[in-house]
Amino acid sequence: MAENGAIRSVCIVGGGSAGWLTAGLIAAHHGRDLSVTLVESVRRGTIGVGEGTWPTMRNTLRKIGISETDFMRFTHASFKQGAKFARWRTGAADDFYYHPLVLPEGFPDLDLAPYWNAEPSRSFSDAVCFQEALCEASLAPKLITSPDYVGIANYAYHLDAVRLGELLAEHCIGTLGVHHIDDDIVDVRLAENGDVAAVIGERHGPIEADLFVDCTGFASRLLGEALGVPFVDRSDVLFVDRALAVQRPVEEDSPISSNTISTAQRHGWIWDIGLPTRRGIGYVWSSRHAGAERVEEELAAYVGPDFAKLSPREITIRSGHRSQFWKNNVVAVGLAAGFLEPLEASALVLIELSADYIATAMPATRPAMDFVARRFNTMTRYRWDRIIEFLKLHYVLSEREDSAFWRDNRDPATIPQDLQDQLELWRDTPPGEHDFASAHEMFPAASYQYVLYGMGFRTRPRTGRLAQHEAAQDAFDRTAALKRKLTAAMPTNRALLDRLAQYRFPTL
Amino acid sequence: MTIVPLNRAVHAGLRIDPARAAESAAAVHLVPLVADEIRQVASQFPVFLAKDGETGQFYAAALMGLEPQENLFWNGASLEADVLPLNLLRLPFFVFGDGPEAAIGIDEASPAIAPEGPCAIVDAEGGETDYFRSVQAILGRLLQGRDATRQLVDLMLETRIVREIKLDMAFHDGSTSTLTGLYGVDEVALGRARDRITAFDDLMILAAMALSLDKVAALVRRKNARLDAQSAWFAPGG
Repeated sequence: MAENGAIRSVCIVGGGSAGWLTAGLIAAHHGRDLSVTLVESVRRGTIGVGEGTWPTMRNTLRKIGISETDFMRFTHASFKQGAKFARWRTGAADDFYYHPLVLPEGFPDLDLAPYWNAEPSRSFSDAVCFQEALCEASLAPKLITSPDYVGIANYAYHLDAVRLGELLAEHCIGTLGVHHIDDDIVDVRLAENGDVAAVIGERHGPIEADLFVDCTGFASRLLGEALGVPFVDRSDVLFVDRALAVQRPVEEDSPISSNTISTAQRHGWIWDIGLPTRRGIGYVWSSRHAGAERVEEELAAYVGPDFAKLSPREITIRSGHRSQFWKNNVVAVGLAAGFLEPLEASALVLIELSADYIATAMPATRPAMDFVARRFNTMTRYRWDRIIEFLKLHYVLSEREDSAFWRDNRDPATIPQDLQDQLELWRDTPPGEHDFASAHEMFPAASYQYVLYGMGFRTRPRTGRLAQHEAAQDAFDRTAALKRKLTAAMPTNRALLDRLAQYRFPTL
Repeated sequence: MTIVPLNRAVHAGLRIDPARAAESAAAVHLVPLVADEIRQVASQFPVFLAKDGETGQFYAAALMGLEPQENLFWNGASLEADVLPLNLLRLPFFVFGDGPEAAIGIDEASPAIAPEGPCAIVDAEGGETDYFRSVQAILGRLLQGRDATRQLVDLMLETRIVREIKLDMAFHDGSTSTLTGLYGVDEVALGRARDRITAFDDLMILAAMALSLDKVAALVRRKNARLDAQSAWFAPGG
């Protein structure tokens, strides 16, 4: 450590999307003022988690300094405009709703929820937002003339997470001056005050730094193993603990879905993420409720005859997180901090938020670090709790009766008390900003509306609240007009990506 | 428009009326330019960058109307301008393809193809007419200017001297309109970037583009005059 405890060097242990996003955000923010080293075992490889992002990824990549064209070409990315939840409510073939990325028309100044609840003629997501219409037609959220990272409709990405790691690595090393060390960490040396003084590389010996970022995946070598921070198991709320994943190649000119498709199954649900080159499909389930053979049968039925040619990969998931995320001079990002089922693509966004905070709130001195760490822990724990509640919300409203998995998910003993209280309030008042007062909210009130009303929940209309009837009618009309206009104007996801292979998005 | 490759056997007898060629510009508000004509054209029209809807790539263009399909310089018979872009002067001819593959095409549906037209492509001896040689010269400048224009546009983007300019306009009759998708050279940004623009010719072109933005006012005047003429037409007789 430098004299007077100044923080001059950061060592990120582990690569992958977590390691390289953190390296990129810190290095881009601090330039050469801070020495950034990333040590990883190239041999060991990474687990590519999270092939779906949030819209935040656009800003993250812009900050790191990568152009959208380069990013999309390299990671085989496609545009994501939300998630379609199929068969979650009743399990019927025509049972679906959307959680789009565009807010309900007029939100939050105007809240359409009470007006829709008074007369729910069509699905909530389709009545208050134009984006579902774009998704149903596999249309893109922008044009070839739209500048880098700018859309006509809000959007995120589907991508190849392994390629994202590679792209970030190249940019971090080549452009941002991040030192890269390929080594296997064999030991961790602690200082007297309990800080990590150095990680010991098999070939490089001790690698010292003032701050260590633990991106070692589920192993959590620094925060979990070396500093003994316990894992908080949340499988009492979220039962999913297994995934069976396949990658299915697609035809060159086949449509590319503009949204993640999450289809509920007997013992869990299937994700379906369309890239230009392949579809990533996986069944997540609870091993307490079903064995792998029964799940494989359902997955095979979903994928179709091609399933026989694919090699499914089984992944064990631990739902939960560390009891604290930053201890002494070690902060964990990515799987080392925790993991939740990929129902709302929370993995990459938590990495971005954590890395961005570490970059911008980087303590100047070691004494200041304890205070920053306390804040980070409070904020990050709040975020995990909100995500867990929001994920649970998808399950508790289901009317499915076809297995113990779905029935057990509705057992009040498995539902966090805050969520139960909140649901009671929402019987009479739609989710609004009053419910979400923190500066660190993960999901806007609108997201809760999309899921609640999509799952068949109703807020009792209170006539006194319908004073903006005309404005509401205007907003419904505007949505219908936008649907007509945009479905006529936007290219398909596939057509725009083909165009992008040839031309670049303009820089302004 | 029906563009076909120009063929000596098929088109030798064609007569052209160049004055009528500009009719097809009557409904065009943006005319693409090449770098070496920008200084001159910018003395008459505001010159912007705009994006090609098919490729998203920027191109330089003269603005002739304040909404799509409007050309405020077209008076019903001709274009009222001292300087015209090469892309109007070449009509009804076109350049096909690129590089050594490039060939001349003609729009067989152009109103400029007229039996009584004063100009021919081929003269009595079977050689090219002066008129056609001047067309070839124009097409040559357009073809040769492509790379230089591309480089100039890249320079403008790299040096970040271009800003999106939204034209919010109010007219005499109380109507308003907003024209988007236009990017102009910003004088202040140009001043900041002048050390990085090493070629004097480039600097002069960019300065001309920055100054040409004032000519939007002339377009607004023309629009007002057009609106006044229309309201006079519809006013009750007196």
